[in-house]
This record gives sequence, structure tokens and C-alpha cells, in this order.
Amino acid sequence: MNVLKVRWWTIGIFVLPCLLLYMMMVFVPIVISGYTSLVEWDGIGVNKTFVGLDNYVDILFHDPHFWPAVRRTLMYAVFSMAEIPICLLFAILINRYVKRGNRLVSIYFMPVILSVVIIGQLWKTIYNPLDMGGMINGILNALGMQGHMRAWLSSPQFAMYCLYFVSLWQYFGYHLIIQFTGVQNIPSDIYEAAKIDGADGFKADRYITLPLIVPVFKISIVLAFIGSLQAFDLIMVMTGGGPAHATDVISTLMYNNTFLTFKYGYGSALAMTLVFICLAFTFVINGVFNRIEKKVG
Amino acid sequence: MASIKKGVVYLLLGILVVTQVYPLLWLILYSFKTNEEILGGSFFALPASPRFANYTEAYEQGNYLRYLFNSIFVTVITMVVVIVLASMVAYAISRFRWKLAPAALLVFMLGLMIPMQATLLPLMVMFKNIGILNTHWSLILPYIAFQTPVAVFILSGFMKGIPHEIEESAFMDGASVYRIFRSIILPISVPPIMTVCILTFINIWNEYILAATFISSERLKTLPFGVNSFVSQYTTNYGNIGAFLVMGAIPVILIYFILSERITKGMVAGAVKG
Repeated sequence: MNVLKVRWWTIGIFVLPCLLLYMMMVFVPIVISGYTSLVEWDGIGVNKTFVGLDNYVDILFHDPHFWPAVRRTLMYAVFSMAEIPICLLFAILINRYVKRGNRLVSIYFMPVILSVVIIGQLWKTIYNPLDMGGMINGILNALGMQGHMRAWLSSPQFAMYCLYFVSLWQYFGYHLIIQFTGVQNIPSDIYEAAKIDGADGFKADRYITLPLIVPVFKISIVLAFIGSLQAFDLIMVMTGGGPAHATDVISTLMYNNTFLTFKYGYGSALAMTLVFICLAFTFVINGVFNRIEKKVG
Repeated sequence: MASIKKGVVYLLLGILVVTQVYPLLWLILYSFKTNEEILGGSFFALPASPRFANYTEAYEQGNYLRYLFNSIFVTVITMVVVIVLASMVAYAISRFRWKLAPAALLVFMLGLMIPMQATLLPLMVMFKNIGILNTHWSLILPYIAFQTPVAVFILSGFMKGIPHEIEESAFMDGASVYRIFRSIILPISVPPIMTVCILTFINIWNEYILAATFISSERLKTLPFGVNSFVSQYTTNYGNIGAFLVMGAIPVILIYFILSERITKGMVAGAVKG
């Protein structure tokens, strides 16, 4: 080990500016949130009543919107992860059949770089009722399926699925490109050797591509999972959690309680719940994958 | 048989191009239509004659240039500071000998798992107390903080691999650590710095929630926030809304056309290393 030995204050000069700013903006707020979650506070006065864990008890046992929001958050995660095998399949197909796959993949990637505001407002317009020029209803109308036309985002039954779909649409290219890069990085001589042994096409995929792609696959799964737990801004842009809480996830519930009804204590408790869930699931999912990797490798 | 297979694959890939790109094209068509054409419901028809007035009207009614300038200002400052601060930390973590280096890295890595939304309220109260709420600093400071974890991770990963002989010989020649950092380490680290630049640009340029929560002055709004408030304000002027959305998307699309390979590579690197 030949690492530079420097004086402690040199380390300080290099590390402290960034570390302090980072602590102030990330950790201090979380600690404050933790404290605020134990009080009742409307944010206006200085009157904060200490209520202990009451806010958490209310969330877990008395809030009719909390568990449905958790269910939607988890559904979000399930849908996002279910997309990834499809991305892998497309990545394999593009790698095998398309000469300049990079070009094609970068077209699919386009929605990823756009702001949720553009994506959200674009899809809001697409989901609009026919008399507001919505595209989906326009297509249904042209196909003579008037019975299926509806105001998609105002329907408590369908609105959430419409949101899942937009997320899947936007991030398809992202996961595709991650998988595609992974597939491209598998050395081609492995496939050539396998061909000599009689393994070709999908057989080669089964025994070569799949085991070698596991680490990349894991990255996509983790990203999709964490991303869905934090899914927020798209929903805020498109529905704000409505109609009648039908599209609330944990973070929109937190936002609306905090900034619309000014229940600061309650909102903070929801924020802390979200932090706990994110941390817990990150550890769980890492544990699961470490096991899988051990088995496969 | 093989050609049928190939045909099916091309068909699938073609359908996928349509689903991924058509909504964007549809928006462009939409932005040139009159309200009557939009409400007429012919979803795939071309506009009879492109209505450029949608764009001039959207430009006149909204503060497009203001929003654009604000976004450039906030994004550029964030990018520069993230690169300077994160590369310093990454250098210290990957090259200095100190006991707390792994702990420091861990602290930054924790930040990757913390949802930014959870900090909204405390940050708002903090910024209000120190009087920077509703200024660009209330965006820039948290933006920097939330971009550093991935930046530190990418940069320290790269810097670990730089051969030590380079530093040692410079050290023998009497160069200080600061000098080595500035004249040797930074120039070598340009590729990962580019990756960090791209990730920061995409994330910050597109950020909406913080801007919508902390900014209330019209003249301080960033592009995503500005576009959203324009759209919610002029709800029935469909053509103008379409035009403003297209104008909102243009900067990032332009940059993507010029740098698409760099951007995709950078985002993959960010995903894989983050």
C-alpha cells in the first residue's frame, strides 16, 4: 500500500467543505424530521405539543389512506421490476439481430432524459377525454370502441394503472440500455466456444448470457425498486394523488399532509416511515441478491 | 425459418420504436394544431397548415427565456461545485492514508438510499430561518448535496486505479498535495468527471419538486417548474400548451442529439457504479 500520508488538516481541507454541506442538507434534515415526527405542529406558531409516537400509531392504525398507499408503492415496484426481464430479452435480440444496435437503443432512450414535467403533461394530454383531444380516446374512437373511452386520469379505478404505465414507458429505455451494455460486455469468444460444443441461440443464452448478466440485472432491479419506493414527482405532476386518494403513494401522502393540510408532525412521521422503508428494503434486496450471486457464481 | 424469426424480431423492435417515439412526435404535431383540430379528435392527422402562432403566443405569454436562464444558472453552478467538492473528497478517500476514509465513504453512500422528499419540510423551515427560501440558493445547496454521493462514488472508484508512481515522482520533485491534485489527478480524471457532469446535468436540469416547493417568485422559476405552471394556468389553450411543452423539451433534446453516446454511456456508468 503506497498511499499518501498527509497532515490531518490537509484531509480536513479536502473533505470538510463537502461533508459539512452534505450533512447539513441530508442528515440534519432527517434528524429534524425525526424530531418533528414526535410532535403535533401546524407549522405556523411556535406551539409544538410533544405527542411521542402518536403520529406513527395514527399512520399505522387509523389512517385509511396509508395502507392503500403502501400497496400502490409496492405494486409500483412490482411492475417496474417485471419490466426488466422484457428489457433483457430486447437487449439480447438487439445485440443478435441489429447491426448498429447502439443507434436503436439510443432512440429508445429518449424519454429517459426528459423532465417528469414534460413527460407527465404530455401523457396527461394523451389520457385526456375525447372532447379535450386525448390521443388514447381518439384511437379508441377511431377503432369503434367508444364503450372503452373514459377520462382515464379521473377514474379512481384506472388512474393508478395509467401512472404505472407512464413510468414503465419512460424507464424502458433506461433499463434496456443497462442490460444492452451488459450483454455487449460478455466476451464473444465464450459464445464461439459454446457454439463448437453445440450450444447456440437460446441455449447459449440460458447457459452463458443469463449467469453472466446477473450482476447487471441486479443493478436494474435495485434501481427500479428504489425508484418506485421514491416515485413521487410524476404523480404530483399528473394527479397529485387524486382523484379521491386513488393514486396516493407514501410520498404523495407525505407531501399533501405536510404542504396542503399543514400537519407538519404527521407529515414528518410519514417522511420517516418512507426513509425506514427505503433503508430496510435496500438491505433486504441486497441480501437476496448476494445469495443468488453465490448460487449462480 | 431464420428469416421469419428475423422478421418477427424486426417487427417487435419496430413496434417498440413507435411506442417510445410516437408520443413525442404526437406532441410536436399537437403543438402546431389549432384548438379546433385538436378537439376534432383526429389523433394522427397532420395539422392543415402548421400554426406557428402557438409558439409565438406561448413565448409571449410565458417567461420562457427567464426560466431557461434560471435553469442554466442553477444547473451550471451545481455542476461546477459538485465536481470541485466531490473530486476533493474522492481524492482524500482514495489516496490519503487515514483511518476514517472507509467511514467517510459509507456516510456518503448512505445518502444514495435516502429519499430526497423526506428532507423537503425540514429544509424549507431551515431556509426560511436563514432567509434564503425563495432564492436560487435554496435549490443549489440541496442539489449539490444530493448529487455528491454518486459523484464521490464514481470519482473515488476511478482514482483508486491511478498508479501511485505518478504521484510519488511528483512528490519527490517537491510538489504539494494541492499541486498534485490540481495538475495531475484532475486532468487524469476527466472521463469520470464527464460522467458526473452528465448525471448532474440530467438530474438537476429536470428537477421539479424542490423547485416547486421552495420557489414562489415567477422570476426565479426553473424550466420544469415554469413549464408546469404555464400549463396549469392556460388549461384550454391546447396548442399553446403543446408549444410550451416542446419548447421546454428542446434544450435537453438538442444536447442529446449532439452528445447522445456520451449521455447514454454516462448514465449507464452512473447506474452501474451507483
